Amino acid sequence: MSQISPETPPANDWTRPRPGGSFGRDPAVFEEAIGPDGKTRKGWTRLLEASAKLSPAELATRAAQADNQLCENGVNFNVFHDGTRLQRPWRLDILPMVMEAAEWARLDRGLSQRARLLDLMVADCHGPMRLIRDKVIPPEVLHAHPGFMRPFWNVTQAGQGWITLYGAELARAPSGEWRVMADRTDSPSGPAFALENRIVGSRNLPASLLGDQVERLAPFFVNLQSALKRQASGLAENPRIVVLSAGAKHPYYFEDVYLARYLGYSLVEGADLAVRDDKVYLKTLAGLIPVHGILTRGSERGIDPLELGGAASHGVPGLLNALRRGFIAIANIPGSGIVESPIFMPFLDRISRYFLGEELLLHSISTWWAGDPAQFDHIRRNLDQLVIKPAYEASGGDEIFVGRLTRNHRQNLLDQISAKPHAYVAQELIARSAVPVLRDGRLGRGHAALRAFAVAGQPGDFSSMPGALVRIAPTAEPMELAISAGEFSKDLWVLSDGPVRPVTLLPDEDEPVPLRRTSAVFPSRVADDLFWLGHSLDRADFLCRLIRALIERLVMESSAEAPEIAALSSALWAQGIAPTNYSGGLGPVLSAADLPAAVGEGSDPNGLMATISELRRLSSLERLWISPDTWRKIHEATTQFQAAAAAGWHGLDDLRIAINRLILDLAAVSGLIHDGMVRSPAWRVLDMGRRIERAKDVALLLDSVLTVDPPGIGTLKMLLEVIDCRMTYRSRYLEKIRAANVFDLLLTDETCPRSVASQLIALAEHVDVLPHDGADPLRTEEKRLVMATVHAVRMVTPDELGDRTQAPVLNLARLLDRNMKALSELITRKYLLHSGTPRQITSDPEMPG
Amino acid sequence: MRYRVVHETRYSCTELVSVGHNEARLKPRSTPRQILVAHALEILPAPSTRTDWVDYFGNGVTRFAFNHGYQNLLVQAASEVEIVQTQPVTVAGPHWEELTPSSNRDQGRQDLGVIEFGFESPRCRIVPDFAGYAGAVFTPGRAVVDAATALMARIHGEFQFDPAATTVTTPVEQVFRQRRGVCQDFAHLFISMLRSLGLCARYVSGYLRTIPPPGQPRLVGADASHAWVSLWCGPEVGWLDLDPTTNLLPAAGKDHITLAWGRDYADIAPLKGVFTGGGQCAMSVGVDVAPLDGA
Repeated sequence: MSQISPETPPANDWTRPRPGGSFGRDPAVFEEAIGPDGKTRKGWTRLLEASAKLSPAELATRAAQADNQLCENGVNFNVFHDGTRLQRPWRLDILPMVMEAAEWARLDRGLSQRARLLDLMVADCHGPMRLIRDKVIPPEVLHAHPGFMRPFWNVTQAGQGWITLYGAELARAPSGEWRVMADRTDSPSGPAFALENRIVGSRNLPASLLGDQVERLAPFFVNLQSALKRQASGLAENPRIVVLSAGAKHPYYFEDVYLARYLGYSLVEGADLAVRDDKVYLKTLAGLIPVHGILTRGSERGIDPLELGGAASHGVPGLLNALRRGFIAIANIPGSGIVESPIFMPFLDRISRYFLGEELLLHSISTWWAGDPAQFDHIRRNLDQLVIKPAYEASGGDEIFVGRLTRNHRQNLLDQISAKPHAYVAQELIARSAVPVLRDGRLGRGHAALRAFAVAGQPGDFSSMPGALVRIAPTAEPMELAISAGEFSKDLWVLSDGPVRPVTLLPDEDEPVPLRRTSAVFPSRVADDLFWLGHSLDRADFLCRLIRALIERLVMESSAEAPEIAALSSALWAQGIAPTNYSGGLGPVLSAADLPAAVGEGSDPNGLMATISELRRLSSLERLWISPDTWRKIHEATTQFQAAAAAGWHGLDDLRIAINRLILDLAAVSGLIHDGMVRSPAWRVLDMGRRIERAKDVALLLDSVLTVDPPGIGTLKMLLEVIDCRMTYRSRYLEKIRAANVFDLLLTDETCPRSVASQLIALAEHVDVLPHDGADPLRTEEKRLVMATVHAVRMVTPDELGDRTQAPVLNLARLLDRNMKALSELITRKYLLHSGTPRQITSDPEMPG
Repeated sequence: MRYRVVHETRYSCTELVSVGHNEARLKPRSTPRQILVAHALEILPAPSTRTDWVDYFGNGVTRFAFNHGYQNLLVQAASEVEIVQTQPVTVAGPHWEELTPSSNRDQGRQDLGVIEFGFESPRCRIVPDFAGYAGAVFTPGRAVVDAATALMARIHGEFQFDPAATTVTTPVEQVFRQRRGVCQDFAHLFISMLRSLGLCARYVSGYLRTIPPPGQPRLVGADASHAWVSLWCGPEVGWLDLDPTTNLLPAAGKDHITLAWGRDYADIAPLKGVFTGGGQCAMSVGVDVAPLDGA
């Protein structure tokens, strides 16, 4: 057993290939690519020889292409730093790790056995507790375990499996044996990253490196699909299964989205599901539809706020009772996570003999429990070579590498353990095996961690994914267990002895599929997001046009010649764009010096920066519902504008360039939506959001402009400019600018696509097609509201438009503003959120005496 | 001695509650000391679903949910309980050390239903200071019943009943520092001390009959939920109830009525719920313990 100390220099004595394609060996670690004879292992020969023949430049280009594709596909993970969320790109080394068939078969048997064992353990913990009764494990293992939650007791029918998806964190010891560093049974992460690595990796590998018989990953996902279907099959002939995501703030949200898309399930969050009569439903635009199976992605500890407390975004009140009554299948069953704690590891060999009558095929990393006096002794004597972990937390949290501590800290640590010995375990350190990696197109070495997976088949039978998510660390030093830790990731090729049978997740080509005009399921939460996406899109456009109109007037030689500057300033001010040091008072006028900073200011929730970031957030959230090009365009436009704002604009010209560019980008987004998006309910709610915003913006603009003074020619021209109708006006009336004619274009002209009338007519059509109770003979509230507003606009007379006091126009603008807000609320309440934020009844307000 | 216990929870909201899921633990347990003669849980408005279940600790749970809206919710548990057995505690029990894991690990404390009450739980901590405080009366070789009764008396004497001092979430360490609290706090602290010594103790929720001052009528609704402690004293004595708030041994009298037990309050909150909508909501709880045989 080798010992790793911080002084060990990183071994990089084979940063370049040697003649014959072999590499130097490090006796302290296992060499994945080099046999004991110093020669390249069989599985690696072709890969290494072929890559040695390629130029570093070519390999580097390939690697960069892969990085680009991962970035474009949005493969990333969230990290939290000082409370803010940062998205980190996923990094992949296109050179795979290779494993021969015979070796994988051994690992496969070990993984299946281990998954089977853990499944029995979970069922025992939350049921008969034979392990404790028969003294196979001490009672502390469960009863002192803070994650041993009593609501999970007997939550599923006896004889039914608890674990569907199992993940194992593996490392190869210098002896060549694989060891389990951690078990993952509470929503294991990683399978989708493994799949994406396979897809992007093989797409970018030079042709000369491909050609081996590599086991495919798709069968694993087919197995996962059939497992979920089988579990829910008692509830419906064609069960509806959803992926229950922990939300966009979850570190591996990418994987939730990816899995849902790949497996063909709806992606939902807790708020999308409702439990009624102990059955589970998905809230959609058209009402509640039944759900029969759930693949959970968030921690089991937050899954039912009623019984477990908390307010997790994947929490569904009443879900555990639905499970108890057998009305929902959940993978994994909540409670499965208990066996992730390392406290089980020292007992696993005994448990295996007890339950299976078998020796463990795949051993855990050596683990000692301080709660046992003899084991504590061992820990004390070998402290420097160990890592200390909390016994009850899933491995991967707090870890103390004793070798790195000072003498004082060691003593403190021992005191801490002695105070609560049962709460600590110690594990040996392991020097991970070395694999060839590509860095900047050159072969080097790295140290490998594997995340392997298994899925439940028939009861008691698990099959593993022939491949894994490989993570690479630059040294053999201990490495974090999170799937995002390490220098980069890799694919694992499991070589096949025979031909590989192609398996695909695509449905049988001969099976007829009925024609449809809509998606089967459109969740209310998605509708809500798209509605506000529409709002943000048009709001951003409107603000940009206001800002541009002001810039153009500010750069004129004499700003005194443009009295509408005051009107524009007050309009922008009303929209949340004001000088940062503005302290109140009449007639706020934005000066050329103030404007760039006022635009770049992000604190006002109505301002341009906030609108842009909302647009970006919502489009990322609902990527599945808008076209990839639409998302890419929004992503690119907002990234650029935000970067420019962060750098600051030097003067008005600089700002004008940025604003013009953003206007064009937003127009491109509009075009993509208009031309590309199917006229589905998704498009309708998005378009409703846009139309309501547009009508409201015109109303607000009129309100802030007309309250100052009767509009002069300059102000009227500015209004035409902001709604993009100057050319139309000129073609009709030449340069005769009259208030009545301008107001007509803004408000009542149904041929002008930006007029209020056009928005209202489109809204009337949308509202008409929204799903509603067909039994009700009268028009719905929102229909009546839209019709009344259309009517009010259509009944306007030329005299009213030309009234010298502007009162009729102003009144109409105010009515529009009110009605659009009311419409927004009605639609939100009725269609978008079937319920508000859930709250807890905190028991007695007065405590018992 | 027979009682009629009515435990009423009212929830009034300014707006409609659209959906709600709830869990009630309001059904008194039957024990050798008490018989549950009759029990009815009335919920108004009538819930859309209602399931009765027995939880991990053997307490009756009723889960109920509403699909339709309501503004006022009434949950009323009416139970008739007969106290059939009173027993002055005469046995002193074994030396308390014999009940701790250090002396007993090898023989194994037999009953899983006992062992699980020896560890930390969400509201009860194992703290050296607690063991220190208890150690003043848990002297070496002292009989467990004797020592526990003495510790109960010590807490009763040194801690002041003060409803203003704590809330339902005050940590037990703070109760220990400020020497003030209510029955729930004293029960959690007493349990924490016993577990810090290595003993097994559970949290009991229930009711305490209040006796009006001589010559005055009984005030309906003046009673309250109560909580005390049950300590494992070995197979001979079994579980012994101790009430640090009143410094009484409930088994010896007829005034304590047991509702449920668990590791601490978090396991057996009488009413839990998650709801949406409702606007401003206010909750009120009333408990009435009426003797039925005129005693």
